[in-house]
Order: sequence, then C-alpha cells, then structure tokens
Amino acid sequence: MLFLRYFGAVVLVVLTPVSGASGDALVLSGVTGERGGTLVFGQRNEPKTFNPVIAADAASRELILRVMADLIHINRATQLTEPALAKSWTVSHDGLHYVLSLRRGVRFSDGQPFTADDVVFSFQVYLDEKVRSPQRDLLLLEGKPISVRKLDSYRVAVDLPRPYAVAERLFDGLAILPRHILEPVYREGKLAQAWNLSSLPTEVVGLGPFRFKQFLAGQRVVLERNPYYWKVDQAGIQLPYLSEVDLEFAGSEDTQVLRFQDGQSDVISRMSARNFAALEKDRVRRGYALSDVGPGLEYSFLFFNLNELPEGASPEVVARQRLFRRASFRRAVSVAIDREALVRLVYLGRAAALSTPVPLGDKAWVNAKLPHIVRSLPQAHQALAAAGFSRAPDGALLDPEGKPVEFSIITSAGNTERLQMATLIQDDLKQLGMNVHVVPLEFGSLVNRVFQTHDYEACLMSLIDSDADPNPDMAVWLSSAGNHLWHPEQKTPATPWEGDIDRLMREQMVTRNRNERKRIFDRVQEILMENLPLIPLLSPDILVGAKNGLGNFRPAMMDHYVLWNIEELYWRAEAR
Amino acid sequence: MKYLGWRLLHGVGLLALLSLLSFMLSQVASGDFYSQLRNDPRISPETVAALRAQAGIDRPFPIRYAAWIVAVSRGDFGYSLAYHRPVAPLLEERIGATLILTGAATLTTWLIAVPLGIWSAARRGKWGDRVSTVAVSLVLAVPDLVLAIALLVLSVQTGWLPAGGKISRGYAQMGSIQQLRDVAWHMVLPVTVLVAGSTPVLIRHTRASILEVMEAPFAMSARAQGIPRRRLLYRHLLPAALNPLISLLGLSLGSLLSASLLVEIVTGWPGLGPLFLEAVMARDFAVVLAVVMLSAAFLFIGNLVADLLLYRFDPRIRTVD
Repeated sequence: MLFLRYFGAVVLVVLTPVSGASGDALVLSGVTGERGGTLVFGQRNEPKTFNPVIAADAASRELILRVMADLIHINRATQLTEPALAKSWTVSHDGLHYVLSLRRGVRFSDGQPFTADDVVFSFQVYLDEKVRSPQRDLLLLEGKPISVRKLDSYRVAVDLPRPYAVAERLFDGLAILPRHILEPVYREGKLAQAWNLSSLPTEVVGLGPFRFKQFLAGQRVVLERNPYYWKVDQAGIQLPYLSEVDLEFAGSEDTQVLRFQDGQSDVISRMSARNFAALEKDRVRRGYALSDVGPGLEYSFLFFNLNELPEGASPEVVARQRLFRRASFRRAVSVAIDREALVRLVYLGRAAALSTPVPLGDKAWVNAKLPHIVRSLPQAHQALAAAGFSRAPDGALLDPEGKPVEFSIITSAGNTERLQMATLIQDDLKQLGMNVHVVPLEFGSLVNRVFQTHDYEACLMSLIDSDADPNPDMAVWLSSAGNHLWHPEQKTPATPWEGDIDRLMREQMVTRNRNERKRIFDRVQEILMENLPLIPLLSPDILVGAKNGLGNFRPAMMDHYVLWNIEELYWRAEAR
Repeated sequence: MKYLGWRLLHGVGLLALLSLLSFMLSQVASGDFYSQLRNDPRISPETVAALRAQAGIDRPFPIRYAAWIVAVSRGDFGYSLAYHRPVAPLLEERIGATLILTGAATLTTWLIAVPLGIWSAARRGKWGDRVSTVAVSLVLAVPDLVLAIALLVLSVQTGWLPAGGKISRGYAQMGSIQQLRDVAWHMVLPVTVLVAGSTPVLIRHTRASILEVMEAPFAMSARAQGIPRRRLLYRHLLPAALNPLISLLGLSLGSLLSASLLVEIVTGWPGLGPLFLEAVMARDFAVVLAVVMLSAAFLFIGNLVADLLLYRFDPRIRTVD
C-alpha cells in the first residue's frame, strides 16, 4: 500500500509535464516555481459572462483572460509583443500581409486539438456584423475589417485593409474560440447566450492557463488548472503552478479591502490611495505587501463643451460657449489649476501631474519636451487681461462683454477622487474671479450629457487606455470620431488645428518606423497643449497588494495589473 | 372568500400600476445599459446604436411596456443585458441568500422584541422600563449602514467575526456541518445589523399596544376581581393587544425581500442587494424591474396574510364586512 502510494506520486510527477505540454510548448525562460495551492483574488464586481465575443465589462474580461488565450500577446512588464498561440510571424514589405505560424500539438482545455480552423472561426465570429461583438471595432482599420485566411492546418494569413503601424498589437487579448464547441451555437444564431455563468463547466472550453470549475452566484468563480496548457517553465514543468484560482466578488471596494486585510483574499488590484494608506499600517502584522507600481494608463482631464449647439439652445449656454472657444481662456484655466495640490491632497501623493493628455504609464509616447505646467496665477491673469477680460470691484472676473464668468463642472458622483479634484479646481479658479459650480452626476447621466445631449458646460473625466500606444486613442483625437469628447462626430474638422491632428494621427497610424511615429505623435501633443481641448490633470498610480510568499508576483501598470502572469505565480513553501 | 378575491384583484391592479410607474421612471433616467460602452474610446457609436436596436431598447415606451407586460403574464421576467441571461434564474440563484438572512433577522427580532415589549409595559415607569426606552431610542438613532461599517471594521481589527461575505476560503474542503457553521458565522454580522434596525420599533409597538389594553375597562375590572398579574397579562391582555402586532408581522413578512438590500451591499452578502445595485447603476432595467416587482409582491402578500389573520382572530372585522 505504502509502495503503491509512493509509486503513484512518482508517476504523477513524471507524467504531468509530458502529458499536456507536448509539441510546440512555449518555454518561459528564467521562471521557476512550485506546483500546487489556491490563489484567491478579490474582485469588486461579479463577472457576467465567460463569452469573449460579447463581454464588455472589466470583471468579465478579467475572468475570460484566465481561461482564454490570444495569438500574439503584449507582455505587461516590457509592454512589447511576444509570441503566444502564434509561435512566429512574418510581415510583407508593405506591411499589409501577415503570415502567422501556429503552435503545433496545442490542445483546448477539453483535450481537443487547436488548429488554424479555430483561428479562422474566431475571426469570422468577431467580425460578423450580426453578432455585434464590441471586439469588432478593434479589428476595423478606419472602418474596414481585417481578413483572416487559412493557409494550412498551422498557418493563417492576415490581410490588413491598409497599413497599420502596430498590427501585432491588435491580436492581444483577442480570445481564440473553440470551433468544435461554438460553431453549432453560432450557426443557430445563439452565440450571445452561450457561455454565461450558468453554463456547465465542461461547455466552457479555452486555451488559457485555467478552466472553469464552479460558479457560486454572487460569491465566486472557481477555476482549476488547465491540464492541457501549452506553457512550461525552464525545468520543463507544465504551467500554471497554481492548482486553483478563486475569483471572489466583494460588491464594493471597501469590502474588497477589508477582506484582503482579513486574509480572505490573497491579491488585490487597483485600490484607492486612501485604502492603500489604511492597509499600509497593518502590513507587517497581517503578512502582506503593498506596491505602488507608479502612474498607469489612466489620465484625468477637464474639458469644455465645444459642440455646435442646436438652434434653440439656451442663450446663456451659447454665450458661455463663446468663452470656452477661446484658447486663451482655456490656457488661463489650465495654468490656474494647482496639479501638485491635486496629487497631494486627493491622491495622497500617489499620482503624477500631467503636462500632456497622454497617460504617464504610456512612457515611450509621452512628449517629454513639453514644459511641466507650474501653477501661476499672475500668468493666468495676464492671459485673461490680454484677451480683454477684466475684474469687477468685488473681484469677480468679467468677460470681454462685461458679464461675470460663471460655469459648472460636471463629474462622476461615484468617484470620490474626481469629485474632490473638481472641488479643488473650483477653489483654484475662484482665485481668478471665476464663479464655478461643481455638479456631481451619476456616471450614466454624465456620459449621456457628454455624448448625447451635449447639455453641460465643463466636465472632469478620466480615460483608461487599453494599450501603451497612441492608436487606442485614435477615436478620441480624430474629429470625426464618436469619442472626440469635446465635440464628437464632426463632419469636417471644426478648427484648423483639429484638421492638423486628424492628418497627423492618420499618418502615425500607418508609419512603421517607430522614431518617425514618435516624432509625429510628439507634434500632436504640442498642438493639443497649444489649444487645450482637454486640460490634462494627472495620472493616478496603480496600487496593488499581495500576501507574502506569492512567488513571481510582478504587478504591471497595464490592465490585468496583478494577474497578467498568473501561469507563473506560485506559493513559496512558507506560505502554503 | 369574496374578501380574498377582492383583495387579490386589488393587489394585481396595484402591481400593474407600480410596474407602469417604474417603467416611466426608467424612461426618465438618463442613459441606458449601452451608455457605459462609450467609456471605451475604441467602441464606435454605430456599434452602440446597433446593440441598442438589437436589444429593442430604442423602441418607443408604450411598445416596450406592452411587450414587457405580455412577457410577464407568461412568467418571463425579461432578459438581463449585462448577464445575457433570462432574469428569472438570475434572481433564483440569489433569492435564497436574501431570504436566509432576512428570515433569521425577522425571527430574532420577534423573539427579542415581543418579550422585551411586554416586560417593559409591565414595568411602566420603573427604572427597567426607563433604561430600555433610552436604549431603544439610541439603537433606533444609529443608521443601519453606519452600524454595519463600524461592525465590519471592528471585526477585521479584532478578528471576532468574518469580514463580510457568506463563506470563508477553504469552504469547499469543509464537511457539511462545518460549512453550515461557517455560513452561520458569516450571518452574525448582517443579522445583528438588521435586528438592531427593526427591533426598537417592534419593542415600542408591543409596549404601546399592551399599555393601551391595560387601560381598557375590561382590564381594570379584571384587576379589580383579583386576577393574578401574570395570568392577566398573558391570558387577557396579550390576545387583546394582538391586532397591531399582526399588522406589523405582515409588514415584517412583506419586507423579507427588501429589508436587507443595503446591508447586503455593505457586508458583501451574495443576495439580491448587490445584484440590484449593480443593475441600477448599469441600467439593466429588466433586473431592476424584476426585483422591484418581486419585493412589491412580497409586501402585498405579507399584508394580505396579516389581514387574513386579523380577519380570523378579530371578530369585529368580520362584522364590519
């Protein structure tokens, strides 16, 4: 009996590395760890679906990337692309044609083989207009879809409708679907209903490090190791190291933080500076470590409503818009804002002031030559006086028509930090004699006013870039785009400088020389800072924490901040 | 029987009116489920518009309402846009957790409040009654949410109670008795908060109604005839004081689905609360409407039960009818 048990253990150890990761396994060099153990990850919200085709919320995407894999992946530490399911690729001279060679011998989490048919099927689904996947827009270049053809069982050709500077980055996060499972559902037109949380674990099949084991409504999703995963460490041990991952939903950030502090969860991602400070006191006694990864890909800014308002808009708003349209007015506002105070008071120092509307986490693309904005009231006064503004005896600022300057800033009521920033800015601008009101709105209403009704004067908002590259923000900078916040969906550029930005952004999109792209995007930032359609404020730091003893834990500033290398995470012996 | 039929009809009308009102309110709320997609700059307005059309939320109000009524009459509570699932199973998965919580809280509340109320009434004006009156007022004055947060922080600091949620890590590895104990342990905090919120009111009502019948002529005559205090209290006064308590019981039963929503959110209890809040924020109206209608139906049934009990126990009501 004793012998049998011993023998069984040996067989297990010898067989596991070999059994799943046959063929073209990806060897992660420099990675070592030990197998076993469970990781509990505390999330704020409950994921809604396993279905990568329709998932739109962050919690679901967090879950999906644990059980799915992409062809080419962006390494969150280096921010560079690296091979994933595609083990290599070639590009034609004009940059329009890619040939991707797929890894051989890779199996889905149900043991079925992965081939080019799965890749072609996946793109067919994502690009199908009837499916209406939010992912589809990511695969369109200026409205035209990319196309994917099968060359043989392990090679696919990808044709771009036009050159695209960083085409490989398009594949990141695009989950490859199992054709043998989803094709029948897709043919029936029921793809959107597939793979929800009530699905059977055996139905949800992917190529990621883990697979679905159990769902407890409102509480957690339990994932188990995918025995067919295609990555091994340098010792040849099949990854992932962890046997199980529990994604636990706390409902609110406060509960999430309390449960981490109490040891109920092992890892916590993206907490507020205040919670970070609160957790820091207890760090040693509770046995966890916190880290400030530095400013991420989020950037906050203030902008004014520059839309063409329809006939019949309130004359008061129209009059105020005449002010907002003056670049000198926007510059005065910008230089009157004390960004350092925002960083210090709102984020307790865990953020960085911006001098360009590009998040600081996007290190390679920030135009470092742009001057740091130092608060200067005299400079603001000077700019306003030169533009014909004056001060009333009671100190109120009067516009060139002699009317007092007064406007309101809308911001999201659910976000404490933004609300505090708006209040501090209100105070900063008061010192210029401006009468500013802060109007907190529930996020849905805010979005509606900015994009649909255009019924607002100024707005304080943040965007989070999905990638450290200028391209994800094309839709913000192009004047014709729907997310050109201050004046979306222009037929023709409303101002010459918006026309210049359109031209430059389109140019950088097709420029394949990186230095040349950088030069163009630097110029875009110069134009943006001359005209200040978005007045940049700051980039908050990414604040995370993990229980001591979690090996290979390397939080990143891009999304999936803490779990991006989940296949490498392991529990050191002392933490088990 | 006629009474029951009339009440049921009345209830259905009330629910229909409520649904119309909720629908109108949802119409007034700005934005819809797909508005939040606009936060991702890569998703185009055209895609958002197409998704809207597909979900049918761009149709005019009367058509959407009619479609909803038809669906509900067939027992179909609609389709959650966030979860891509029908609403009914979504609620089914969570309603149990809410009922366990509110059920335990309601039971505890009654077990504490009624005896305390009687005790307090029997000692009216004495120091015991005074102390309990002050204590009740104090507890009544503390908002549920503040109490919940304070208890949560205290639990984490001292380790006495779990920090929210319904189960501990390692729940799957426990035996069934241990699992039961684990859930019960997690229930202590939210149940305490709920009990603290509802007990004071019930104590005051019990006390007041007992005092009222103590003053009644029949009680005075009973006392004059020398019936012992204890026998008087339990045999004669309590049944007579039952009416307002039965009404309160109806209210208690009726709020089984709604009383704990906020506390659930704060303590991370996986019931209807967190689902409801997220649905409201995301404008997932099918879920919001279903929760609203269901809790309204509960309230109606609770009141109906109370009225039927009154009808059974109080002959005066029957003669009026």
